[in-house]
Amino acid sequence: MAPIAVGDALPDGTLGWFDENDQLQQVSIHGIGAGKKIVLVGVPGAFTPTCSSQHVPGFIKSAEELKSKGIDEILVISVNDPYVMKAWAKTYAENKYVKFLADGSGSYTHALGLELDLTEKGLGLRSRRYAIFADDLKVKVANIEEGGAFTISGADEILKAL
Amino acid sequence: MASALMKARRSPALPSVAVMALRRAFAAASMGCDIVSAAPGVALQKARSWDEGVSSKFSTTPLKDIFQGKQVVVFGLPGAFTGVCSAQHVPSYKNNIDKFKAKGIDSVICVAVNDPYVLNGWAENLQAKEAIDFYGDFDASFHRSLELDLDLSAALLGHRSQRWSAYVVDGKIKVLNVEKVPSEFKVSGGEVILGQI
Repeated sequence: MAPIAVGDALPDGTLGWFDENDQLQQVSIHGIGAGKKIVLVGVPGAFTPTCSSQHVPGFIKSAEELKSKGIDEILVISVNDPYVMKAWAKTYAENKYVKFLADGSGSYTHALGLELDLTEKGLGLRSRRYAIFADDLKVKVANIEEGGAFTISGADEILKAL
Repeated sequence: MASALMKARRSPALPSVAVMALRRAFAAASMGCDIVSAAPGVALQKARSWDEGVSSKFSTTPLKDIFQGKQVVVFGLPGAFTGVCSAQHVPSYKNNIDKFKAKGIDSVICVAVNDPYVLNGWAENLQAKEAIDFYGDFDASFHRSLELDLDLSAALLGHRSQRWSAYVVDGKIKVLNVEKVPSEFKVSGGEVILGQI
């Protein structure tokens, strides 16, 4: 699958998520994104340093500003199971808007064409690091890193592009 | 064991189901089974932070380093951060660690099909790193070799392991307890195996 790019339609997919009432839900990307402005944040792995201490915090801090610019949802997506995502989300006590979604089988990451083989590091097939802005399921911004580096996929770049 | 299998094959009277059972018993984890030879080439990944991973060049630990010449109590569970695993299974070992040491156990090990970084985050969350060595079987190869793997896709967990415990001496399984279903916690806890050593 070729990596998703600006102008593409966001594919549909089902991700796992523990909601505010601690209920395990299945979220459909088309369901949550149709007619809305959403930001998808892809990370290689929960509990890994760049993801935990740089990439995700940037979006948690900028969430208010993103919302004021019309963003309806900020979704962090990782190839981890929903229990791990829930535990990871809890480490961000100050988080109000960012949802942590589980692409446990990696199938949505595969549909986006954004897999990254991190088998050597003990992680298996994961996701590339990215930040995507989609308006009514049409990709407007796609900032995709090469490997796990953190250069263009932050919240600031998305804010600038809005 | 091997000679019994040969005899079974040669005897035409033996129903094929029994042959299959013999063959399965030979491959799957069972009492007397040697863990290291049942899973040749399999290595586990010690729970670690990413920095530790980088500095150790993402090294893995071969099974023989964990089991050979040692008395080990090992338990496996479906997933880090899940209910029974966090609230009951791990604590039952953590809280009994002194009793295990008193019985001559060299190490208590927890294995799960998770990556070593998630396992590290979980072990720190449970404050169990002092008592227990956590190892990741990130591609389920260890559990698959012992036929203790399980498809938990319905619970959105994917390929995982059963809930089990074992007492292993110099790589040989002396005691093996496997729950009928992973949501149960009847035979695989610390107290049970403490009484079996």
